Amino acid sequence: MAEKILAAENRVVRHSRLELAEHWAIALSGLVLLLTGIFELPVAKRYYIITVPGLGWSADFITSLYLHYAAAFVFTAAALFHLVYHGLGGEKGLLPQRGDFRASVAVIKSFIGLGKEPPQHKYLPEQRLAYAGMAFIILLLIASGLVKTYKNIYAPDLSHTVLLWATWAHNIGFILFFLAFLAHMAAIALKPNWPMVRGIFTGKVRLDYAQHRHGLWLADLAQASPEPAEPPADQTGAEGKNPPPPDGEKTAPGP
Amino acid sequence: MKTHDGHLSRRSFLKIGAGAAALAGLKWPKTAGAADEKRLATLIDLSLCDGCPDRPMPACVGACRAINKDKIPPVAKNIPEPWPRKTIEDWSKKKEVFNRLTPYNFIYVHDVRIDGKTIYVPRRCMHCDNPPCATICPFSANHKEKNGAVVIEQNQCFGGAKCRDVCPWEIPQRQSGVGIYLHVLPDFMGNGVMYKCDLCNERLQEGKLPGCVEACPRQAMLIGPRREIEKNALERARAMNGYLYGKTENGGTSTFYVSPVSFEKITRAMEKKPGRPDMKPDVKRRMAATDPLGNAVLAAPVLGAVAAGALGWISRRKAQGKKEGENHG
Repeated sequence: MAEKILAAENRVVRHSRLELAEHWAIALSGLVLLLTGIFELPVAKRYYIITVPGLGWSADFITSLYLHYAAAFVFTAAALFHLVYHGLGGEKGLLPQRGDFRASVAVIKSFIGLGKEPPQHKYLPEQRLAYAGMAFIILLLIASGLVKTYKNIYAPDLSHTVLLWATWAHNIGFILFFLAFLAHMAAIALKPNWPMVRGIFTGKVRLDYAQHRHGLWLADLAQASPEPAEPPADQTGAEGKNPPPPDGEKTAPGP
Repeated sequence: MKTHDGHLSRRSFLKIGAGAAALAGLKWPKTAGAADEKRLATLIDLSLCDGCPDRPMPACVGACRAINKDKIPPVAKNIPEPWPRKTIEDWSKKKEVFNRLTPYNFIYVHDVRIDGKTIYVPRRCMHCDNPPCATICPFSANHKEKNGAVVIEQNQCFGGAKCRDVCPWEIPQRQSGVGIYLHVLPDFMGNGVMYKCDLCNERLQEGKLPGCVEACPRQAMLIGPRREIEKNALERARAMNGYLYGKTENGGTSTFYVSPVSFEKITRAMEKKPGRPDMKPDVKRRMAATDPLGNAVLAAPVLGAVAAGALGWISRRKAQGKKEGENHG
């Protein structure tokens, strides 16, 4: 388990390097897939995208297909890796739980000052719901994309019914993926979620943020920690205000 | 040579076997497209085609036009102007044009002067084995049937003309102002419907011959089981010390042209224009170059899962070793 409280740095390790690699592999390849997917529609000439410097290739459907395949390889392999690796490890932290919908409403209400946000696990209830939704969309895109790829290479005379299902599942999945991406960006734009942005780049979030918001997660970490840990000198202090303890890394109990 | 070819033609035609028998009786088996061995192909013998000089238009062209005359629904009176590029392709007032491909004309005869002689080349969709026009259609409106016919479903096509862009011969032709796009976002998305030869697929399903094949007075066009037609085409080309086109072009097609004149000469003599494609030999299927990456995509789920299994196993072994070390320590 990579999760660890680094009291001396006022940090908590939220994501392992492997998880970061999975996230960014899927995110970046997903963006390439969105862009090249758009270029697989006859839009580049019509909307003068080809006149944008650097996008002269955008009307060449075969070039777009190269890029789409390359990104699809990363996207598919990373998604299946994620599913199997964490599935075999029995990790369920991102799976929706009973009552998540109601809890999500409470969290969103707290953003606008209606009530107080209850202590959270590592992931917020809306993150768990969003994860399930995104996983569904990604699996829909992968399954339909594989059918289309197989057709492109081996079965150009695939049943038209099957082909239409795969095509429209892929097209609808594309729209849903784009909307989900926008929703993901909108969630990041909300101020209470800003501290989590650091986590997806560095793997760590501020300990005082975690204490403020993810009390249940820190409690779990403290329980799992083999050693007793001391809290940082100033738990409410902002980043960089904590004096470094003499013995470097330590784990700290939850609030 | 032509007389000899004529003999060959008739003999070979009869040799086609079951396919030929079906043709003779106009009883095409309904399962013609069901099995791979029943895939169809057509043969166009340029040593036999004379362009029908005694008719107002070649018989194949006339038959095709008669069969498809009501195919395109009435065109919108005010065709929406696409935004921002304002390209409109409207052939509804030029339906009579038959010397090129148009949405109202799926076959034409290209007459080519070579060494003082005229070669007549009927041109239409080649019905490629792996047609990029169909595989790359974003709505799968263009698709390939089991019998080899490449068909555009006009009620599913948005007329983006992607199929024309990827076709080495730019065969499909657009008619603006018709089709499903009119009911969605006509100003911003779509621009009509693409039309081309569908090998008279509906007629084939009904046990009939394609119009052009049926109408040809010189039997310059044949249709039959793929293997038989290919064999026939090879035999004819060998017998006339001639040339074959369509076997390897664009990755292989279901149309075999046999000619006593080389296709290098033919394509050089053809003046390529919109709707009047040339016949460049050995034209490559560009999508073939993407196949290795496509195969990698097909393997990606397995690779991802195996990597996860292996890494998970290593991680668990490490954790177990660490735990045992701690217990012993």
